[in-house]
Amino acid sequence: MKRFCLKAMLLLSVAGLQGCYKKYLPTDRDAFDLSSQFTTTVYQPFLGRTTLFQNNFKDEFSSKPLNFRIFNIRTYDGGAAPELQKPFPVLVWTEPYTGKETSLAEIEAKRKMEEHPVFEIRDHSGEFIMWQSATSNIVRAQPDSGYVFDVEVSNKGGRKIVEGLRLLPFRELEYEPNKADIITGNVTNEALHPLSVSGMIGDSTESAINSGDIDITFHKASNTGSSLTFRFLDANNQLINPAKFNLTKWATLVHGFNMQQTSTYVKYDVAYPIPLVKRPTAYTNEDGSYAHLTFEYERLGFGGIRQVANMRFDFGIYTSGTWEIIFAFKKETPKFSND
Amino acid sequence: MNFSNMRYVLLILLVLISGMTLQAQDTRRITGKVLDNSNKQPLIGVTVSLSDSSHALAATDENGNFTAIVPAKATALHFSNIGFKNKVVSIKGKSDLEIMMEISSDAMQGVVVQGFQRRSKITATGSTVTISGEDIQNVPVSNFTELLQGRVAGVNVQNTTGMPGARTTMNLRGLSSGSVSGSGNDAFLSPTSPLFVIDGVPVDVNSGYEYGFDQSGPGTSPLALIPPEDIAEISFLKSAAATALYGSRAAYGVVLVNTKRGKSKVPIVSYAGKFYMNAVPKLKTVIGGAMERELRIQEILANDTSLYSGRDKIDMNPALSDYLNPYYNNSTNWQSVFYGPTYNMSHNISASGGDQKFNYKVNMGYAKDQGIIKNTGFTRYNLSMNADYQPTDNFKVNTSLSAALGEQQKGNGNGVSQTGVANATSASSLLPRPSFFGGNTTALGNLSTRNENKSNSMQANLNIWYRFLKDLSARDVFSYSYKAGRESNFRPAAINNNVAEFYVYDDRTQELNNRAMLEFNKELGKHRITSYVFNEITVRNYYPKAMMYSGFPNDQYEGPSGINAGAALWGIIDNFTPGERLLTNGGSLSYNYQDKYMVDVTYSVNGTSSNGPNRPFAKNPTIAGRWNFYKERFMEDLNWLSLGGVRFDWGRSTIPQGSVFDANGKYLYTGRYNNNNTIGTVWDYIPNPNLEPKMTTKYNFGVDLGVLNNRYTATFETYYNQVDNEIYDYALADHNAYGKIKVNSLNQVNYGYELTLSLSPLPASSKWQWNVNMNGSINKNVMTGLPGNSRLIIKADADNAQDIVYRLGRSNLSYILYNYRGVFKSDKDVPVDPATGLPYRVQTDKGVYYFQAGDPYWTDLDGNYISNAYDRVIAGSAATKISGGLQSLVKYGGWSLSVAMSYLYGRDILNNALAQRLAAYSTPFNIQKDASLIPVGDTRFWSPANPDGTIPNPYNYLYTSMYNPFRFDQTLFMEDGSYFKINTVTLAYMLPKSFTTRYKMTRLQVYATANNVYTFSNYSGPDPELVTDLGKDRSDGYPNRRSYTLGVNIQF
Repeated sequence: MKRFCLKAMLLLSVAGLQGCYKKYLPTDRDAFDLSSQFTTTVYQPFLGRTTLFQNNFKDEFSSKPLNFRIFNIRTYDGGAAPELQKPFPVLVWTEPYTGKETSLAEIEAKRKMEEHPVFEIRDHSGEFIMWQSATSNIVRAQPDSGYVFDVEVSNKGGRKIVEGLRLLPFRELEYEPNKADIITGNVTNEALHPLSVSGMIGDSTESAINSGDIDITFHKASNTGSSLTFRFLDANNQLINPAKFNLTKWATLVHGFNMQQTSTYVKYDVAYPIPLVKRPTAYTNEDGSYAHLTFEYERLGFGGIRQVANMRFDFGIYTSGTWEIIFAFKKETPKFSND
Repeated sequence: MNFSNMRYVLLILLVLISGMTLQAQDTRRITGKVLDNSNKQPLIGVTVSLSDSSHALAATDENGNFTAIVPAKATALHFSNIGFKNKVVSIKGKSDLEIMMEISSDAMQGVVVQGFQRRSKITATGSTVTISGEDIQNVPVSNFTELLQGRVAGVNVQNTTGMPGARTTMNLRGLSSGSVSGSGNDAFLSPTSPLFVIDGVPVDVNSGYEYGFDQSGPGTSPLALIPPEDIAEISFLKSAAATALYGSRAAYGVVLVNTKRGKSKVPIVSYAGKFYMNAVPKLKTVIGGAMERELRIQEILANDTSLYSGRDKIDMNPALSDYLNPYYNNSTNWQSVFYGPTYNMSHNISASGGDQKFNYKVNMGYAKDQGIIKNTGFTRYNLSMNADYQPTDNFKVNTSLSAALGEQQKGNGNGVSQTGVANATSASSLLPRPSFFGGNTTALGNLSTRNENKSNSMQANLNIWYRFLKDLSARDVFSYSYKAGRESNFRPAAINNNVAEFYVYDDRTQELNNRAMLEFNKELGKHRITSYVFNEITVRNYYPKAMMYSGFPNDQYEGPSGINAGAALWGIIDNFTPGERLLTNGGSLSYNYQDKYMVDVTYSVNGTSSNGPNRPFAKNPTIAGRWNFYKERFMEDLNWLSLGGVRFDWGRSTIPQGSVFDANGKYLYTGRYNNNNTIGTVWDYIPNPNLEPKMTTKYNFGVDLGVLNNRYTATFETYYNQVDNEIYDYALADHNAYGKIKVNSLNQVNYGYELTLSLSPLPASSKWQWNVNMNGSINKNVMTGLPGNSRLIIKADADNAQDIVYRLGRSNLSYILYNYRGVFKSDKDVPVDPATGLPYRVQTDKGVYYFQAGDPYWTDLDGNYISNAYDRVIAGSAATKISGGLQSLVKYGGWSLSVAMSYLYGRDILNNALAQRLAAYSTPFNIQKDASLIPVGDTRFWSPANPDGTIPNPYNYLYTSMYNPFRFDQTLFMEDGSYFKINTVTLAYMLPKSFTTRYKMTRLQVYATANNVYTFSNYSGPDPELVTDLGKDRSDGYPNRRSYTLGVNIQF
């Protein structure tokens, strides 16, 4: 009995001590750094395309992951903003786009429709997404004062409410480059020009054609369909046979399929937006932000010298439809024939 | 140096001793055995004489046996032994005796040390464990602390390097430091070894390492200069009451080492010799020769941008393409160039004798350990003596003197880290073996560098005690130690870009320590009061100088100043800590009621020169109590209980940290101002006048139990140690003139439980004798305070990105790592950002890399589809959770078998060595360094043919530098470092008396020992122990050798 008492005493004292030790020690909980904050407080996405705001939250010494939640989203004057919380069907990627897909179906198989609120915050990174389904007929666009919202940042160690973040969407720009006023949407008459032109000479004066001499027009023939057509106009507004750009790699000009090349146009079935993702591929510029076009031809110049001429253009189209891009050589038609 | 030489030494010794013969006329022969009556164990060294005053006739041997030739008329024999009551036994008509000696009351149940006093174990209020020096004597080691592994509960010894003569890591009751210096594999935790006091001389083993692994000087631990053969006992003072009076330096605990003393009236000369072989443990497997070349070529062809590009690169690289060239047509095993077994020996001779009134001991030793790496090793020569002189009961003088010389060869690294060897062994096997025309200059450097390092140490101690009144006595303990370290290193021009280079380093450390005490002891009936006041001063000076010259006429000519004197460097090491001054005043009061109730109170005031001027003194109180409940009346009928007590103590102790500069600022020559040479302040650190020493507050609670005449004893202890005020560098806002300030701001707590069991399961009457000692300790380490009241601080590691996390409530030294989930089996398995369509990726300054099949999958914690530092998780810790050991000793007749084992549980290791080896695949053109390839052909590695592999594809070398699949800071390389180790196995045989007496010896023991026998572990690396204090397995560590010893102990 006494032996039992001894044991019990010992056990009790150990248990008691363990309790004491823990009581006065800090608990092992997440650290929350109150100086963490959003580095961007005003978010201005373009409507009609999916925009992801990255690297917008700075956090020194909090335990990860953090949890983010948007709440109290409202219009600038304090009214309700249900349009931002209601789920809309949006196109999301399920597999990575690589630029090596061989059919439209293969590309489409990598995307699917999902229901999402058009404006979301990523649960653990604090990144904001404005989905492409948000258009100016649903969402208030500038010059409206837009929306105000609060974000709760938390982990198991603490939480913080960041108030008064602003969402000020720009109205849609269906394509880029674009001369439209981003706030009012007013389209000006200023023309678009190629990125660069080299070696092109006019067929009558044989003087060089500069990029300012070529106007580029985007034309959405229809909101349905999913194709892209290239046409070329000479100085007389007559269509040039695309085959005259004889060095152009038509098959890999854009990531399109079912190329139809006629004497007046080249047409592709494509997936929108263009580019599909911001990732460098064979069809894009170096950083992958725009699709990249090179039209090129060769001819024999004076004295039988081979002359190579080309024209480059980077662009993006953000809504689907039947699109045409028309290159107008308004000053002079390029000289394709040999000397 | 080999066995044949040793034969002569033995022979000479035998010749010398054979002169000692005993006359036998009109005498008779008495034999007998002397036993301790409490546990029936034989007593060794008991003096046998005719009377108290006459000279000794004999002394008992290992088994308690003695043989005495006495005059025929003698009627009684007198037996005396220190710690036992003298005994007179009649020998009338007897020739074979069995004598039981009784322990004298003050030594009952053993003696422990508390404060400055030795007192019996049953009155100890603090936590002290003493182990006998005999436990560690039959194993050849350079540093005896290596053998303390697993012997004492709560003392965690890790042999983090196999370098002979280097220090081991020793922590008493958990981590006491969170201060990490350096980066990468060289990052190290400020060492927190306990204070060692060797024969009364304090030895600071933590200094000299403030420069990290690349420490200056010879790198010899001061403890390596003590011959293990000379150690009588080692006491570990763990709790506050035990260390109270070392308060100013006792924050990490105190270890007292006492060398042997003479205690036999018959002079004893003993010799201990060890002959041993160091064997190389298992090293890493490497691919060699044609197979290596083939592997590189295949890797390049299959993974370059195109076959043609790959072919072109191979053609441009002669090591791969010019395979008929003898220079590249090799299969060199670089490890065998450096690693190899060595044969070593050590000898120790001591002579001792005397009694309580006067005794002496002289010890001489020589030991040479050449390690297992060429051009490394440690040689120790030492000579020491001590003497006790007590002419009357009121006056006593103890003195000890010791001198030692350690010679260390460090090879091309700094000893602890064999950077040179590691670099050289990481060379490709295609390169030829070292020669002056060889391709691997690092290898050559390791072999041809002339390297000489010497550590000298001298220690003296004088302890005078004088009782001038009945209850009042005075004592003065004075000690002085002098250490000098010298390093000289000559790198011949042939291996050093045609410039011969000479480096000399010289340092000296002096420490003077004086303690004056006034003691008052009074016994009033059942009450006993012991008290003293004391004053202690310590002065420690340290002064390191170094010199570097380069450009000598040739490689045979080492000096004087070279042809390039302008580039020479010399002076005092720039970040040296100049030493310190300590002043302590204190007192102690102990009360004892019939050994039943005890209370101890101490109080001391400690001043340190490194304290801030506003905080010159730290006050360290302790209070402790003990209740021996087995002495209570109600326990009297419990006959089986032979010991039972509970004790509790609380106290504070401090340890100086930082240097005098941290508190007072530093001044240097700052150039000319106003056309005068000017001394100005250094702007790195602003002086902090409020700087305090590191302070520990310790609670300790213990239960001691002994059952069945102490055949079974158990000690349970629990403790709570709070370590406060550790210095942390705090960056100042950039508008201040100064960059940083050192503040007292890192706090942590260790708490845990310790259990020690010692068992003698066989009855004393048995011919077999079996003792088992088991101990274990659980330690939990918790951060309790961080600078700036933050909860989390990440200490960045610039080299390996293995940051260390301090988070309140969590263990110190926690890792923060990428969570490795496996390998992407195919491209489709890579997660894709639904919004952008981009796959999971890394973004570096070299561009964006999208993960693909065969790449590692690290958890994307924040869900942004980018793998970056925010995705790291706090995982694992370098802190040890459970450690302990088990020792067993079996004796039968002259045979004995002792086995020592140790274990460790709950420590996470970062296998940097493996990571580094795998990363070698990302540089297939590299052949000089980081080029040796380990086999990766097995099924664990992902390849297109083996998509189920669990380790990333190592071959994607064009891109691996972008995403770094074998980065150090990931859970893939975090492994469980738990182990169970058989440290030593010793089989000894004591030759029978009949044999030894024929050769005029009193004792002859031969034994065989295997050291570092085997480690059971799940760890994939070579040795879970060979990791830094921060838990990193560095590839350039010095492996722990396995040694096999044949030894002999002779006593004349």
